[in-house]
This record gives sequence, C-alpha cells and structure tokens, in this order.
Amino acid sequence: MSYEELPHTADVKIRACAPTSDALFGEAASALMQVMYGGDRRGGTTRSIDLDAPDQESLLCDFLSEVLYMSEVDGLVFQQADVRIEGMHLHAVLDGEPFDPERHNQGTEVKGISYSGLSIRKDAKGYMLDILFDV
Amino acid sequence: MLEGVIRAGPSEWEIPVGFVPGMRVPGRFFLSDALAALLEPGAVQQLANVATLPGIIRCSLGMPDIHWGYGFPIGGVAAFSLDEGIISPGGVGFDINCGVRLFTTPLVQADIKKPREFIESLYKAVPTGVGAKSSLKVSPAALTAMMEKGARWAVEAGYGVERDLARCEENGCMKQADIHAVSAKARARGIPQGGTLGSGNHFLEIQVVSEIFDESAAKAFGLAEGQICCMIHCGSRGLGHQVCTDHLKTLETATKKYHITLPDRQLACAPLQSPEGKAYFGAMAASANYAWANRQLIMHAARLQFERMFGIGYESMPLVYDVTHNVAKIEEHIVDGHRVTVCVHRKGATRSFGPGSHDLPGDLTAIGQPVIIPGSMGTSSFVLKGTATAMERTFGSTCHGSGRVMSRSQAKKRMSGKEVADHLLMQGIIVRAPNEAAIADEAPEVYKPSSEVVQVVHDAGLSALVARMSPLGVIKG
Repeated sequence: MSYEELPHTADVKIRACAPTSDALFGEAASALMQVMYGGDRRGGTTRSIDLDAPDQESLLCDFLSEVLYMSEVDGLVFQQADVRIEGMHLHAVLDGEPFDPERHNQGTEVKGISYSGLSIRKDAKGYMLDILFDV
Repeated sequence: MLEGVIRAGPSEWEIPVGFVPGMRVPGRFFLSDALAALLEPGAVQQLANVATLPGIIRCSLGMPDIHWGYGFPIGGVAAFSLDEGIISPGGVGFDINCGVRLFTTPLVQADIKKPREFIESLYKAVPTGVGAKSSLKVSPAALTAMMEKGARWAVEAGYGVERDLARCEENGCMKQADIHAVSAKARARGIPQGGTLGSGNHFLEIQVVSEIFDESAAKAFGLAEGQICCMIHCGSRGLGHQVCTDHLKTLETATKKYHITLPDRQLACAPLQSPEGKAYFGAMAASANYAWANRQLIMHAARLQFERMFGIGYESMPLVYDVTHNVAKIEEHIVDGHRVTVCVHRKGATRSFGPGSHDLPGDLTAIGQPVIIPGSMGTSSFVLKGTATAMERTFGSTCHGSGRVMSRSQAKKRMSGKEVADHLLMQGIIVRAPNEAAIADEAPEVYKPSSEVVQVVHDAGLSALVARMSPLGVIKG
C-alpha cells in the first residue's frame, strides 16, 4: 500500500506514490475504496472504465468519480484497479466483489472527489499525488 | 495564525483586499479569541479566495464555525448580484441541502424506561451507514416527484402531515428545481437511497431540552424544559453528490468560456444568467428538494417508532423547524439602503431570518426563524432564533454546527470507538453505529465546543439563544 492519509480537519486528504502514472491512478482508486470500505476487499468481479479529459488532474477526478459511482450503483467493492493511460485517454479494469455489509463496514461514505489542493507531481523517484475526498 | 488579518471588533475579523490577488471585496469572519486560536490558515485563504469571485456583494463572510473545506471554507457565506454575479458548486458543497430538523414529543426523560431498546429500534427503522439501501421502493416517477415537490411529495404520500411543510425553510421545496438538469447517473444513485441517513457526521439523536434561555420564543417554537425531542441531520445522499460532480465538470468549461480567473478549481462557476449557471441552479434545487423529502421520510420512520414504543399520537410530535446548511438561494436583502434580489451561497451556514421575514409561518413572524444548531455526539445542540442583525450583517446567516478541530486520522489514533462509546455511556449517552471507527471519527473532542460557537453568534447578534438540548442516544452512519 503506497498511500497515506494526511492531516485535514474536515475531510480525508490522501497522498499516494507510485513509479508510473498508471500505477499512481490505481493507488488513488485503492485509497478511495479503503476510505469507503476498509481493508478487507477481494476480487472476482470485473468492470472497466474508459474516459477522456482535457488534463491529467481532470482525468484523475473523473476516474475516481466514476469508480465511486460504479461502486455505489452496482454495489461493488473494488480490491484494485489496473489503469492504462495513453495521452489523455484512460482505460481501467477494476477487480472487486459484491458489497458485504458484514465485512465492508469499516469505512465512511465519500461524497465527492475535490479539485481543492489536488496535485500530481513527478520527480526522480516517480509520481506522487495529493487529493481530497469529501466525507 | 491570523497574520495579515485585522481585528474589527470583539469577535470580528477582517481580511483586507489584497490578502490574495484579485480580491474584489474584503473578507469578514466572526470568532472569539479562543476560537480564533484554532483557525487554520487554509480557511482564511479560502475565505479570501471567495472574495475574488465576480459579482460578490459587500464581503466574503465566515461564521464562527469556519474551518478548512474545499472551494468555500465551511461556514462560508457570500451573496452575488443577479446581473453580474456567479453561482458555484464550491459554495454549496457535494452534499446539497445537507440540513437539520428537530421535532418534539410530549414525553419526558422518565418516560423512556428502556433507552437502549428504543435506540436499537430506531437504528433498525432508519437505514444507516455505507452501502445502506432503503426499504422503500422509490419508482422513477416518485423520484421525479421528490425532486419537483420536495417535502410535499412525502406528505402527500402519507409520510407526514401538512403542518410539517410550514415548518421547513422554503416550505421544503425550491420552486426553481429543473429535473432535466439532473443526470441519469444522479437519478440512479437517488433511487435506492430515499429515506437513508448516510454516514460521516450524519445522525439521528434523541435529546432532552435541558435549558431555556428565551421563554417566549421557546413557547412559540413548542419547546419546554425536560421535553424529549429528536434531531435528524442528513442531506441529498448520492443524488446530490452526483449533481455536484456532474456540474463541476460543466462549470469548469464555463469558467474558461466566460473568462473567469479562479484561485481554486473547486470554485468553478458560471454567471447566474448563463445556461450553465441556470442548469446547475435547477439541478441543485432539485437535489435540495430530494433532501427535504429524505429528511421527511426519516422523521416519519422515527415518529412511527415513538408511536409504537410509547403509545403517543403522531400529531403530538410536531416539527419545530427544518433548516438547510448547504445551499444557494435567491433572496431579497437590503444592500446600501436598497432592497435587492441576490443569490446567497451558504456552505456550512444556516439561514437566520429575523422577525418580519416573509418566508416565516405567520405564528413565527414576530419571533424570527428557528435556527437549529447540532452539537457533536456528546455535546449540547441548540435552538436559536433569527435576528435583524443577521439580516443587516450576514445576509440573514449564522453558524451551522461546531466545526471540527481534529482530523479523522488523528481522532482514530487518539481513541478507539469503543473507548469513546464507553465514555459517552458514563455520561448517560447511548451510541449505536455500524462500526467503531464511525464513533471514533465523530468523538466529541474532535469538534470545537458547540456552546462556545453559539455564544459567539449570540454575542455578535447573528442569532439569539432560545434553548439547549442534551443528547441521550444517537444513531450514526
């Protein structure tokens, strides 16, 4: 797990790190699922997401908003996301399982993915992002 | 911490123009010295950012529960000119019409002989927490009616009485709702969640009126010392969250189209008169209506449990009032001596209309609007009344709660949910939640003391204390 929660009084601020931007987006999706449902998440059911956006920050926000939507409406809890980004097109395959109220009750609802304080950076060690979830 | 901020009164502070580039008006917030010491620099920055938005009138305002949010600070209020001003989802939040309502009962504390059993029955009656789905089968047609008619839909469907409507801000319905601006995705999220409480800081709480500050107002609101009442805090659920997400995208594009420069992308906005601005406003109003219907459904479920457990009549549990604290509304206010129509954004702030306001039911016109301020899980909640000062100073607005001082991760490290629940039980407060983390997240210590916050609004004249309620039992999502 290469993400952590940063101090934020009202909401949940996440910092994630990964060697590639594809993996960074996958980490962000895992962090979102962790916040909502806790750590006991398994695979077996897949879903895919395809979307385009004008810039990398929007691509990330749109992707996570779609994961949130799909999770809520389809009643699925995702273990992980395999993300491929080419230009400003994103293709992701999500692996998860049906929501189980007994095992997936360790988190809190996320209302939305915020642009406030959103940053995606690259340095010699790889990629890092900060993002705020409204809870 | 308050570097660059000027003291403007005993509990009033000004952020001068120039604090951030592009400010059109100053910022102004209300805090006691003790609360000012807890203020995050991020909240001051956000209040200053709001002052850069086109068409803002007089100043960017922060209520005493101001804290660091996204877009506007939480506790932020700003009014915009209808001609030159904008509308922004960043001034409303993802949880459109998150709000609070309070109803009373003829019971006193001694009547509740088995409090744990009663809390358990409420917990079973109101779907709560992550992934909770409603037992109601809301049809697509019913969802449309919820968005168009708000609380009235619920009352007409048998989930309440006519009098409830007069006791809701806007009578529980914003007429500007435009269901065509609500996406299929938002509808899909709204259908299974009608009548659910949600999670985070949302709750249903059984309280006892423990102190009366203003006898005549308390009487007019139907409150008496020792009385048992019930408070409900929730919003527009996934439907409103999706509306915010969808329209943020559209408004991001609109921001560029209308050449608006922003210090924070979460403040994406469009002129009120533009197609994009109107579409967001219509969708936001539809979401607000859904939230009013939702709180009405939850109140109905709670009233049925009171009826069943204590044999009291449904009509003996009147609604005191329902307020929204995340919304943008078209209202009339006096600006520079002239009555003008403006768009007031309240993000974590409560309307506090004073005596004589048109939107109040006839029997409350002389008193002012009931203002309902929830405390945290273990601390008091308050009923206040709206004031003429609020009309003059804050576009008829006051605080909405206590405001967090500790992050959720800090809270969890500091104490376990079980420790918090045990500690509250020692004070006679029963907590029921789907998991312990939800309790640790919302421990009383993570919030500013509610009594300090309401004292500041009382002293500043933004609303006046009427009654204090102490918690007895709470269900959390």
